[in-house]
Amino acid sequence: MPIRVAHQRTQMTLLLTALVAVSLVSLLVGAGEVGPLRSLAALAGTQDSDASFVVWQLRAPRTLIGIAVGMALGVAGALLQAVSRNPLAEPGLLGVSAGAAFAVALTLVMGASAATLRISVAQLGALVGCLCVLSVTRVRGVGSDPVRLVLAGAAFSGLLGSLTSLMLLYDQRAADEIRFWVIGSLAGRRLDDLAAMLPSMLVAAVAVVLMARPLAALALGERAASGLGHHPGLIRWCVVACVALLVGGATAMAGPIAFVGLVVPFVARAMAGPDIRRTLWFCLSIGPLMVLAADMIARVAVAPSELPIGVLTALCGAPVLVAVVRARRLPSL
Amino acid sequence: MRANVLRVGIVGLLLSGLWGGAAQARTLDTAFGEVDVTGTPERVVTLYEGALDASLAAGVTPLGAVTTRGGDNVAEYVEAHLGDERPAIMGVVREINTEAVLEQRPELILAPARLTEAQYRLLSQIAPTIVPHSQPIAPDNWKDEARLYGEALNRQEAIEVAINAVDERAAGLASALEEAGVGGNAFVVRWMPGGPMVMSKNLFAAGLLDQVGLTVEDAGLVGERGVHSDVLSLENLSQVDGDWLFLATLNKDGREALEAAKQSSAFTRLDVVKRDQVVPVNGQLWSSANGPLAAQAILDDIEAALLP
Repeated sequence: MPIRVAHQRTQMTLLLTALVAVSLVSLLVGAGEVGPLRSLAALAGTQDSDASFVVWQLRAPRTLIGIAVGMALGVAGALLQAVSRNPLAEPGLLGVSAGAAFAVALTLVMGASAATLRISVAQLGALVGCLCVLSVTRVRGVGSDPVRLVLAGAAFSGLLGSLTSLMLLYDQRAADEIRFWVIGSLAGRRLDDLAAMLPSMLVAAVAVVLMARPLAALALGERAASGLGHHPGLIRWCVVACVALLVGGATAMAGPIAFVGLVVPFVARAMAGPDIRRTLWFCLSIGPLMVLAADMIARVAVAPSELPIGVLTALCGAPVLVAVVRARRLPSL
Repeated sequence: MRANVLRVGIVGLLLSGLWGGAAQARTLDTAFGEVDVTGTPERVVTLYEGALDASLAAGVTPLGAVTTRGGDNVAEYVEAHLGDERPAIMGVVREINTEAVLEQRPELILAPARLTEAQYRLLSQIAPTIVPHSQPIAPDNWKDEARLYGEALNRQEAIEVAINAVDERAAGLASALEEAGVGGNAFVVRWMPGGPMVMSKNLFAAGLLDQVGLTVEDAGLVGERGVHSDVLSLENLSQVDGDWLFLATLNKDGREALEAAKQSSAFTRLDVVKRDQVVPVNGQLWSSANGPLAAQAILDDIEAALLP
């Protein structure tokens, strides 16, 4: 056991180093003409107003937002999977992000536009999405079969997607703004958006820290958890609230981004083993890594334009989903 | 006595109309072959914004028309040319409600160049359906289309007058702008939350900007057949930093789009923004409509924004 812990410590150090490196590269590359060398010079403080504008005003905010979104989605995925005991329970796949995006689109059509309103609305939508998902897991036969849960989630996402399209038809003037809420992107987001989201992220972080031990106990089964003095029902409610805060906040910042909540905990479990407390720590560094890497490819792949980041996370997430499903025995959590 | 004279007059007019109409059977060259039209149709349905515009310019208010792109009624600039009678809505240009067309019992249907053959077969059973030949995107396409619609309506002269009026107005505006020393290059963009889409320099509005002496550019971002570019990265905004920036939006108020764009620091540091030479314009008119009346409305916008 000590060997394993030491091994994990090395892995963690490696991951954190990789995260710092990727964040730095994220400041250096982009769709524009300010290349890595000019960006480096701007970082070092030379008088190049164009380059320092691009680096500090455009790339730095989206890097920070990418880190926050990656952390939120990775942790939310791990939480949702732990509480539903299903390795495929991903907020994007199950319609939690779709719920958040739908709620925002609805308020936009109704005429709202305040940035602070958006976050609470998105979180409320995510909460409703979460509750729908978890009530589905309670239906006999669905909850015990991970794939069926994903099918139910896909149906739910499809329903919300068609409702969002309906609103597009109803009010095409809001179409441009709503389209953002259908695909998701880190481009053009401002630090204000991040600042507005920080409080709820912090609340969720504190709650997750407090819940880590009970969650680990819950993994042993409801009876065992009760025997250890925890309240499974209460834990579940807290997790749902946390997932709603995290996914709603991330969606309010970057739109719905699918598959991050699937891939990140999947990799984290492979590295950390079954203990949810370690998995969560690993998610905190793997999540930002994945989102930042996807965002960088989104920036340079079709320069001078940019790809929506959701396309890239789906590109690397879909094979993972297939791999998990095709594995001979679905790991049950 | 007066009523009698009036009555005789009306009957005479109607008779002469009938007689004249019968004599004026004509054959039109359309995308789906030759189509015969007789008389001066009054019951007309237009299934294209350019057709609605040409029809109004020729003095015929259609019984039915499609909505403007992104709206749920005809374009706002059209309102000024409508009397008490409003055209009924026949759906959107991509999805025409054939039953609504049938309900109007039209004598003539003016359709867009991109009408599909299946739709044509249906519509041509209702009334002679005029579909212009599709052409590569060019700023002057609207003139050919308007002339074809005008011929179908038997009001060629009115259309000719309207087209000439546009050319004269544009020429007049061009010399006024030259006198005022206004010129240079211009970009037409649509602002999206992630960045702008650059509109093609081959579009209708771009042609009018060219006519009044500005050089419309697209920074090589729009393909030959494209109507607009993909959403340009905010890092590349300097590519649309010209002398003038026309900011189109489907929002009712172009100013809203300008406000949205101004929230982005990448936008506010453009020279053209600092010089305050950004012109918010209505996307319904600037990126969707065409025809002689739309041209006049766009020239109104240009005159108001550019002439000191």
